[in-house]
Amino acid sequence: MPENRDPVVHLDRGFWIVTAVLGVLAVLAIVWWIVAPIQSLMPEAVDKAQEIDALFRFLAATGTALWILVCGYVLYFALAFRRRPGTPDNAVGVQIHDNNKLEAWWTVIPTVFVVVMAIFSIRIWYGIEVAPTNTLVVEAIGYQWHYTFRYPDINGEVAEMHLPLGQPVTLHVTGYDVIHSFWIPAMRLKADMVPGLINTLEFTPTRPGRYEIICTEFCGVDHGLMHSGTKDDPAYVYIDPPAQYSAWYARTQRKQASASNALPVAGARTSIALAGGDPKAGRAIFSQKCSACHALGPFDQRIVGPGLKGVLHDPAHPALVNGARATPENVANILQTGFKGSLGQMPNQAANGLTSKDIANLVAYLKTLK
Amino acid sequence: MTAVAVHAGGGLADHIHPEPQGFFRKYVFSIDHKIIGIQYMITAFLFMILGGMLAELIRVQLMKASGGLMTAETYNEVYSIHGSTMVWLVIIPLLTGGFGNLVFPVQIGARDVAFPWVNMLSFWLFPAAGLMLYASFLMGAPTAGWTEYPPMSLQGAAGTSMWAAAIFLIGVSSTMTGINFLVTILKMRAPGMTFTRMPLFVWGQFVTAPLLMIATTALGAALAALFIQRQFGVAFYDPTRGGSPLLWQHMFWFYSHPAVYIMILPAFGMISEILPTFSRKPIFGYKMIAFSSCAIAILGFMVWAHHMFTSGLAPALQLPFMVLTMLIAIPTGIKIFSWVATLWGGVIHMTTSMMFAIGFLATFTLGGITGVFLAAVPFDLHVHGTYFIVAHLHYVLVGGSLMGILAGLFYWYPKMTGRLMNETLGKWAFWLFFIGFNGTFLPMHWLGMWGQPRRVAEYDPQFQGWNQFASWFSFVMTAALILVLINALWSMRKGKKSGPNPWNARTLEWQIPSPMPYYNFKHVPSVLAAPYDFAEPLPYRGLEEELTGAPPPVPAAH
Repeated sequence: MPENRDPVVHLDRGFWIVTAVLGVLAVLAIVWWIVAPIQSLMPEAVDKAQEIDALFRFLAATGTALWILVCGYVLYFALAFRRRPGTPDNAVGVQIHDNNKLEAWWTVIPTVFVVVMAIFSIRIWYGIEVAPTNTLVVEAIGYQWHYTFRYPDINGEVAEMHLPLGQPVTLHVTGYDVIHSFWIPAMRLKADMVPGLINTLEFTPTRPGRYEIICTEFCGVDHGLMHSGTKDDPAYVYIDPPAQYSAWYARTQRKQASASNALPVAGARTSIALAGGDPKAGRAIFSQKCSACHALGPFDQRIVGPGLKGVLHDPAHPALVNGARATPENVANILQTGFKGSLGQMPNQAANGLTSKDIANLVAYLKTLK
Repeated sequence: MTAVAVHAGGGLADHIHPEPQGFFRKYVFSIDHKIIGIQYMITAFLFMILGGMLAELIRVQLMKASGGLMTAETYNEVYSIHGSTMVWLVIIPLLTGGFGNLVFPVQIGARDVAFPWVNMLSFWLFPAAGLMLYASFLMGAPTAGWTEYPPMSLQGAAGTSMWAAAIFLIGVSSTMTGINFLVTILKMRAPGMTFTRMPLFVWGQFVTAPLLMIATTALGAALAALFIQRQFGVAFYDPTRGGSPLLWQHMFWFYSHPAVYIMILPAFGMISEILPTFSRKPIFGYKMIAFSSCAIAILGFMVWAHHMFTSGLAPALQLPFMVLTMLIAIPTGIKIFSWVATLWGGVIHMTTSMMFAIGFLATFTLGGITGVFLAAVPFDLHVHGTYFIVAHLHYVLVGGSLMGILAGLFYWYPKMTGRLMNETLGKWAFWLFFIGFNGTFLPMHWLGMWGQPRRVAEYDPQFQGWNQFASWFSFVMTAALILVLINALWSMRKGKKSGPNPWNARTLEWQIPSPMPYYNFKHVPSVLAAPYDFAEPLPYRGLEEELTGAPPPVPAAH
């Protein structure tokens, strides 16, 4: 018969001391993650950053504590129960198969942790996803290999991103050629720039300064240069005090009016009389001329162009393909003159066979899409 | 017992074919699951040498913030092929085709898998696919990483289509292996080998097989669509013509997340064999370990979009994927705690195999914990696509799967060669590997959080210190793996003779000679209990002649 290890002599030796030591280490790890100076290593530039860091502290604290306990017990058991010289070859360990109570505990406790973690994550996620009102709507577009930005009522695309301190921002991002990503480590936020899709980040800048933008989705040979550390043409976001931002905005608006990538039609007043448009007639034209490319669903329900639900009602709606704000005048304008640019195209009045009256009717119809 | 009666008389169960004698039929185009397993292992380890060399090229390049060893173009090819190699040509073949083939049919008391010829085809597709993958270097290798997201992969050089074809082929091989193993386990267990008596390594293969069968088809479809778009211009992934780049991501991850479990469940099985054997103790919580594998496999199909939290998933979809992903922590935790409890009160034999298994507990647990971090959407928004991901995935694939593979290699080596690997060299290799691995990948966690994106040939100079640190330690890790290789080659001829059961283990493969004979068992045994009661006599009947000189039963006439 194989020899059983004598349970009385060996099993509990040092167990409670080790448990106490591991408990202290786990508590120290938790305390460390609660007080760790994360901001001093990585500035928190927006309101969401602090919340995400709080979640990280919670995850890191529980994770480190758990890891210390697992590794501690593994090390302790491996040493305490190692086969000692002189142990007969046929000696066996304690022949236990399971322990329902213990197994129930280590199922229930992690479940509780998972539930807490999920609730914590969902609350912070909710704060990230839900848009504040009265936001500044900015668009970022990823190219191989740089970023450009579009601002309401600034003509064309600008190379720098400026945001006013304390002003809630809705940032729409998309990609021109391949998938890029828009990551500002100081904001702890990231969204992929997917061609044909607009992703949105909502946040409020809380700390002035200059922060780098980094691409984290492989986008070609210069992917690694699409950030500020090594590139001649660095990608930064500048968070400015409101007065400074206004000055930058006014300056850029002037400069862009005549810039080489200016769009002479965007933002101009339309020559079409929109008053008296008939939504019913517009609906008929829509189904004949527009519905091949545009759905009536939400923006991201894309056929070739985006879905048009709420296009004239949502203040945070992404800009039109020519960069102009989605207003009745600008919509009429793009229907009339058409557009061909980096993010797509829109056929003009002649190509679509639309009369000016048709355009007025269409705009009236689009107004009804809430 | 009826089962015993069948064997006493030597009925149908003793129907065996004569061993083929020619070199080609015996060693090259073999239909013997053990030879095929060894073929898988040799091929996979050869590809691991190539993939490891590519890994070292990556680490040498990143010694300097401005790169310098390679152009960015070459660097992108190198890490893309490194990732593809390690996933599809090393880890998956080693764990399923390699150790799976070698061990599990014997463990269930079968003489071979259900479809030996399909098994041979599965194997031979694998080196062919591997050569195709490496041939892509000649025509411009893919550059968009092992994930090859379109539209980027649509811009890739001609080799990207070759890559898609190669991975498709390896997918065909995987699918056939999955069917083969599943049928074998369902239909060919020895009498008395009920599901609750199966060794846990068999459980690992049993839950992996359906993953291979079901998930790989999604990858095949995605790859076919990529190939067709690249070669014939059909716009599956082109948004300006009604396609969607996200279509690829969904199909790719519908495969590749279950593939993560394909790459770890068999390793869980290995750990569940090695820990009890060297602790001289029953595995703690056998049923919970087996059931938690099933839970992981089922949940594993419902979490793929957690790789896409930043890609533009509808917000309402993010929550279920987050919560389901977090739930996987529970069965995984059950396993880890059960393994730790298995050590308690044991008589622990610190062999090299056991050291790798214990090292696995430390490193895999860390990788699992950071996995839960990544499930939390808000934190994932910060670290997605950074070195934090690189750290996490290497902790589960190297600290988990590869540690398991090395533990399994030292454990089952005698069953392949009849000799033991050298323990002194093995322990050196373990410590160098453990230190080198942690030194390489631990700093990547904070590098990612601070702002180093993955897949970059050059990076912000402020990160150079930690990158050099990682590179130096990666050399230590490579040295350890070279030691393992030398050990395996040297021991083949010079290693200590092992005898049938050097570890005093209780599963069936240890009850027959080493190396295992062609027909595995002279008489198919019957099984009376699970194999983990070290204080009891062996729970098998019908093994009396296995270790004697008695001739095998008369081969069946053709």
